[in-house]
Order: sequence, then structure tokens, then C-alpha cells
Amino acid sequence: MVDQLPNLGREKEMLAAMGMDSLDDLFVDIPEIVTMDFELPLPPPQTEEEILSDARRILGSNVALGDRVNFLGAGLYRNFVPSSVFQLISRGEFLTAYTPYQPEVSQGMLQAMWEFQTLISELVGLDVANLSVYDGSTAAAEAITCSVRVHNRKAVQKDTVYVSELTPPDRLSVIKNYSQGGGIEIKSLRHNADGTLNLESLSEASGSCGIYLEQPNPLGILDGGLVKVKEIIGENTAFIVGVQPTSLGLVEAPGNYGADIVVGEGQALGSPVTFGGPIYGIFACTKTYLRQMPGRIVGRSIDVDGKEAFCLTLSTREQHIRRHRATSNICTNETLIALMGAMHMSLLGPEGLRHLAIRNMGACQLAKDKLAPITTIAIPHSSSAHYNEFVVELPGSAAECLSYLDVNGLIGGFDLSNWYPERRNWLLVSFTDQTGASEIELLAAHLAAWSASKLQGAMT
Amino acid sequence: MSHLFEHNGAEGRGYNQPPPIVGADKLRFPAGLVRKSLPKWPRISEPEMVRHYTWLSSRNFGIDTGFYPLGSCTMKHNPRVNEVIAQLPGIADIHPLQPEHHIQGTLSIFHEMQDMLAICAGMDSVTLQPVAGAQGEFTAIRCIQEYFRSNGELNRTKVIVPDSAHGTNPASAAMAGFEIIEIPSKEDGRIDLEALRAVVGDDTAAMMITNPSTLGVFEPEIAEAADIVHQAGGQMYYDGANFNAILGRTSPGLMGFDAVHYNLHKTFSQPHGGGGPGSGPIGVKAHLAEYLPGPMVKRRPILPDDKLSNVNVEWWYTWHTPENSIGKVQQWHGNSGAVIRCWAYYRRYGKELKTMSEHAVLNANYLRHRIMEEAKVAGVRHLFEDGAPVEVVKHEFTLSLGPLKEERGVGAMDIAKGLLDKGYMAPTVYFPLIVPECMMVEPTETESKEVLDEFAKNFVEVLQEDPDVLHEAPTSTPVRRVDEVYAARNLTLSYPFEEE
Repeated sequence: MVDQLPNLGREKEMLAAMGMDSLDDLFVDIPEIVTMDFELPLPPPQTEEEILSDARRILGSNVALGDRVNFLGAGLYRNFVPSSVFQLISRGEFLTAYTPYQPEVSQGMLQAMWEFQTLISELVGLDVANLSVYDGSTAAAEAITCSVRVHNRKAVQKDTVYVSELTPPDRLSVIKNYSQGGGIEIKSLRHNADGTLNLESLSEASGSCGIYLEQPNPLGILDGGLVKVKEIIGENTAFIVGVQPTSLGLVEAPGNYGADIVVGEGQALGSPVTFGGPIYGIFACTKTYLRQMPGRIVGRSIDVDGKEAFCLTLSTREQHIRRHRATSNICTNETLIALMGAMHMSLLGPEGLRHLAIRNMGACQLAKDKLAPITTIAIPHSSSAHYNEFVVELPGSAAECLSYLDVNGLIGGFDLSNWYPERRNWLLVSFTDQTGASEIELLAAHLAAWSASKLQGAMT
Repeated sequence: MSHLFEHNGAEGRGYNQPPPIVGADKLRFPAGLVRKSLPKWPRISEPEMVRHYTWLSSRNFGIDTGFYPLGSCTMKHNPRVNEVIAQLPGIADIHPLQPEHHIQGTLSIFHEMQDMLAICAGMDSVTLQPVAGAQGEFTAIRCIQEYFRSNGELNRTKVIVPDSAHGTNPASAAMAGFEIIEIPSKEDGRIDLEALRAVVGDDTAAMMITNPSTLGVFEPEIAEAADIVHQAGGQMYYDGANFNAILGRTSPGLMGFDAVHYNLHKTFSQPHGGGGPGSGPIGVKAHLAEYLPGPMVKRRPILPDDKLSNVNVEWWYTWHTPENSIGKVQQWHGNSGAVIRCWAYYRRYGKELKTMSEHAVLNANYLRHRIMEEAKVAGVRHLFEDGAPVEVVKHEFTLSLGPLKEERGVGAMDIAKGLLDKGYMAPTVYFPLIVPECMMVEPTETESKEVLDEFAKNFVEVLQEDPDVLHEAPTSTPVRRVDEVYAARNLTLSYPFEEE
């Protein structure tokens, strides 16, 4: 017996009102040939307390990041999110609402999302933002297809977009899935030995529809070369920048150095890591791209009394109106997580954002300072500035080192051979506002011990 | 009126953070990369911020606020224990790149969900990665595309959709690079097999269809439709938006489908959150399984060398990427938080999921019946027509307010706004496009008989309302009718800060 059905036990009464006497009468339209004539081979229903107890036991068997000393980031960052955020988004008026199709009774979410658009526009330095796409990878993919729609007519390199060779393969895979339908060719932009963009390689991209780069890049490097990019590629090629949004408390907004579209994983603002979803993707652009943008947009309007009111706008880009000619197939997005982002951003304020960025970058800097003197390991891009994370080159495989650290209670980082197979000895270590100085000491000590024993082992 | 950007307090931050472990003076930047001016974000204290968002929430309507009969959206109650579970550190505080022995619990739940969803839809293999229904459609169509490419059938470039389909169907197939062939429905809204026969051929990749259709009507000839498409060498794709109607009574597998997406935020109670997050896993028959996005979860018996898992003593769970996988559609493992909530939901029903669907269908038919009865008693039954003249509907039904429009100049949108004044969320209006002045009503299984009776009464009252009053409606809502044309002509997409 289940417990979520108000009309359980009243079926007969309701059926009788319709002149029926069995629930089967409601399914006479399903031909016998397709009727399921067996019971679902599933376990019996559980009570709430049994489910909760099972969930605690099963999920309790996972190792949570907070249970350990953690240096794993690689695109998702464990920042603190204030308690009020979780309390407020659990309000049923937000949590249990659908897309605001009836604006008169959806002003709360519409205004909140209009404010979110403003927060993001301000953060990245661009004219407009939508109210989220699924994640950073789909944001990048949508930006790339958007750039082709806008620039293909004038492009010399038609249907071509250049993407940083450092782009993590999983993100690149999403990009390729989204762009292959339009016949878009994805070409690669090379990087220098110090991890910064190779500007000569960039010149090859001139005349294409767009280029996609990240700041900080996937190795955590802040690349000053990006401020020169727009000048090199010119007006008719979209400059798409993927950001880690907290970095923008210190790092110049890409819109202020020529970016046309800014995308990114919004997660670090407002959301726990949550196994990578639900999180939210940021999508912002200049007015040039507005009508080719994917996703929902809220506009400010007035009601019949002239009172300020909000509603969804520019919907003629979207699938429910434009069908196969829509700019994207996106319908359901990540509104509630974007709302968490908006709440977190509000509470941070401009100075709080800057402070958060200093904490993230400061932790990373301290780690660099502490790991640099260890002679048995190297920091291959030590001359570059880093945000959140950097690469450590080990005297053995990162996989082996991570196992050692794991046994010692550390989630030691990310084995970069998963992204770049030839880099078996590269470990990506990540630091956030939640990283303590003593944890960095611990990492340094363990890396020194492991690498020393590794080298000793190699000598004997 | 509360405006976030009019809060500009002196303190500068809504919550104190500990000091950085390294001061800003120790940080260095490449030339030109230091931010010159900070974003114009508000400076708001926690008390003010909590009040702002609480005020906004009071201007928003959710299922918790009242009856939400939004057709096609399955606005059922969202059990709260699911929210409690999704906040546990074992899901909220785990990272997708952690090693398998750290996440056996989550992997076991993924495995259970893959199995459960496959069973319910009669499919062989399920991936949980797509994060929304539209993304599920896109993913499955990509798998079908790769299947044909592998078989050397490069000529299969067309996807057939009925004119009653959700807009995402053609949009998703077009995004994958297919040409869309739209076929008309029959007079009664059902699939036209002749029209289908006329368009299938060796260029057909797939047909995308939802059953019950967007009219809430079961397609009795679905098996024949599947035969027609299969005989032409095409694949059948099931849009799972309406799965809530049939669970345990029939399945896409039995109907002859090769691929299906599930809307966990419809059928399995993931809250809609004002527009998302959703979750749109897909299931496929064996011949498409090798193309699914990876990784998926498989299990094997525990070996003596495995680290001990607290999940169970029998199985060890591992990631696995299918051989000819299309790759990824989301960078991580999809909307795992949603999958966990829906796992909690499914556990509540287990093998009685069928009861859920039966009650969804019971409520829809009962409400349809009550509206007809009330209208007859009030003498206004002639003001609307059945969207589809059938004996029984499934989880939703459509009404055409064409006659009302003709007789009194009152359209579906006016009735929708009138219902807002009665304290209801309005049904879906003007969809599907094939029903004039359409109103699409889906009560779901979590509404009581009293709510349905009351709604039927109120609906008929609104029908009889003075047209002038209805044109003015709503009057009791936080704002009155919003000027969408004004919004599009005077684009104000962010707060207009005064220039400094």
C-alpha cells in the first residue's frame, strides 16, 4: 500500500460517478497486444522512514569530500555556500513551480531570474545573460553553435570553430555532440610550454566563426595573452571565454577585454559539488548574439495598470514556438540552481566576491609556495599565475600517488592522464576557500614523502 | 516592491568570511588581467536578503500553493523526504572524479535506477546522463544516428514527427542534423497511418512520438505505426513526457519502440524548481546500447581483493562506457541529485508504480467528467468541445474553447486568467497546436476528489463569467495582465543602473 494518493480507497466512488466499476475500464483503449500482463518485477513499497534509513546507509558509505582532506577540483569547486540559500530555495513557491508561463502568478521567480541575469551580466561584463543552461560544457557547446549561426555568412573558414587543445575531453565530447549536427568542424588551438595560449596558433583561427578558450584554463593558469585575442581574431570571429566565476572578483571580466560570449560552470557560486549535477551553466553575450542565443530570457515589462512586471521574452527563438528552427532544443533548464547562485552572489556583494577570490587564489598561492621547495617534484608552469589549481609533475604516475594519498586520508587531486594520456605523471591539485594552511602542509609532507620513496625505489 | 539592486549597504557583504590564508598583496597577475571595477552587485545583509527572497516567493505559485493542472507537465506533489536525502553529504558533497571505491553508494543507486527504468519501459539498457527531457531526446536521436552510420546507412536523414508533438522533438532532431518531416494528425487527433506510410522510406531514420499523445489520448494503432516505421528500416522513439499515464499498464517496449526518454521531473517527482533542474535518462533496446553515452554503471560479484563496501556484501559497482559510445552530453554524470530524489520516490511505490498511473488516469477522467457534468447543469456545455472525442482519456485531456471564442469573444487565455483569479494555476493553453483555443488539463494523481470537484465547479463558473470581466482578469494577482509585446519592444534584460 502506498501513501501519496489522496483518492486511495475512493476509486469505486469516483468510477461510479463516471458509470464505471473498475479501474480496468479506464484502460480499455490500450489494445491487448501492448498490454502489460505481468506485475512489475520491483520490490514492495517502502515507508518514508525505511527509505530515509536506506538512503543514510547507502549514501553514508560514500566518502564525502568533507570527510577528508581534499584537493580535487578540476572544474568543480567546493566553496562555502551560506545556510540561508538552502533554507530559501526549499520554499515550495520556488521549489514546486513550473516554468513561469503565467507571469501574473510567477512574478517571484521571474524577477529573481531577471536579477540573476543582471548579476551575471555585471560579473562577466557583457550586455545580456540568459537564465542558465545545463552546465559549463553545454554552455560552451551552445556558445559554439551560436557563434556559427551569427558569423558563418561572412566567415572565410566556414562552419569552423577553434577550441583550446587543453579543453578536457569530456567537455570537448559534449561540444562535438552538439556541433556535429550543424556540420561544424572543431579545430585545435595550441598552447605554449608554460601553458599559455600560443598566439601564432591563434592567427590560424582568423576568419573562422569562433574560438573557445578558458580563463583560468584547465591547468589553472591565468593567461594574460587573452587580452590580445580579440584584436587578433577580429570582429567577425566570436571570442568565447569559459570562466570560473569566483575568479572574477580579482580577474578582469572577459567582456572588458573583448569577449563576445562568456560561459562557465556556475557551480562555485551557490551550489555544492553534488556529483556534478544539478549545477548550472552560465551563458552571457553581447547584443550581437542576443537573437541567436539559446535558452530562456526574462524581460522587464508593465502590466495593464502600468505597474512594473516581468515576463519571459524573445521566446520566438525557442523550441515551443520555433520548433525545428529554434536556436536550441533546451526547455527545462537549471533555474532553481541559478536561483541559489543569485542568492549567494547577493550575499557576497562586490567586496565579498573579491574576498572569496582572494581566499581561493591565496590558498592556491600558498600551496605553490609550499610545494615549490620540494626537490623531488616539479611545478611545470610555475612561472604562470594560477587560480584554484596547478599542475604538479611527479617522479612516478599520478595514479599511484593518488592511491598512496588515499590510504593516508587525502583526496589528493586529479590524475591528468585521464585528460592528456601522455601526462602520466601530472597531478592537478586544487584549493578553494575551504582549504586550510595545515591541509596544505599535510599535502606537501605526503608528496615529499611519496616522491622521495619513489625516487629511492627507482635507485635501488 | 523590493529591488535587489537598490540595496547598497555600507558594510559591503552579507556574510563574513574568514581571512584569506595568503593576503592579496602576495598574489600576482599577468599584465592587464587585474579587475579594475567590481561588478555592481548589491550590498545586502542576511536579514534583508532573506526578506527579499521570501517576498519574491510570496509572488510565485507552486504546487504547494494550490492546484496546478498544467497539461503535459505532470505537476504532482514533491515528497519532502526526497529533498532531505538529496542534501546528505553522500550526494551533495561528492565529486564525479572520485575513485569508484569512494562512491559505491551512489553507484549502487545509479544501478538500481538504470534497472528500474529499463524494467518500467521495457528497454534493455539505460543511461542516466541526460539532464532534461529535451537532452534525452537529443541523446537518443544521436545514438540512432550513430547506429545508422555504423551500418553504412548514411541515407537515413529524416525524422518524422506528428504535428501534435512537443516542440522539443523537432528541435532536438534538427540539432542532431536531421531533416524534419511533420505529418498531420487525423481529425480525432490520432496518428494517421496513411500519412505515415506516405512519408516513410529508405531515408527515414526515426519517428518521434509520445503515447498517450499530447491530447491525452492513447494511440491504439501504435503497434501498426511501429511496424510501418520498422519495415522501412527506421527506428521508433518514445517521448516519455506522458509516461505517468501508462506505467505498469503498458510500456514503450511492448508498443514497439527502440528508444525512450524519461522525464524524472514529471513521472518521478523531481521538483520543477521554477523551470529546472530536470533529469532525462534514456532507455534503448539492445541494438542501440553500444552507442549510449558513458559512463554507465554495471556491477560484478565482489572479489576478495576489493575494498570493503558498506553498500552490500554481494556486488561491486563500476563505471563502464559502451563500445561505440556517442560520448558525453553533460560533462559529469548528469543531474545525479535529481536521480537520487527520484530513487527515493520510486522506492516509495516499488512494484505498485502502476497504482500511481492508475490514479493519475482516474483523476483525469474524473475531472473531465465532472467538468462536463457541471457544464451541462449550468447549460454551458455548448461553449466548449472535447479536444478529442474519446470515451476515456489517459493522464490529461484537452478542451477546445473555440465555440466560446466565437459566441462571446472569450479565448482560452481569458479563461486561464480567470482561473488565476480563482486561486488556481491555469492549465496549459494553445497547445497542442492542432486544437483551436486549446486548454490542456492534467490533474495528476496527488489531488483529492474534493479539489477536482471544486475545480470543475469553478471552471464552469469562469466559463459563464461576463466577457468584460474575463478580458480584465486577473485582478487578484500580484500584477495584472503583463504586456509581453512591451517587454519585447523595450528590451530591458537587466537592472538599468544609473550611469556614474
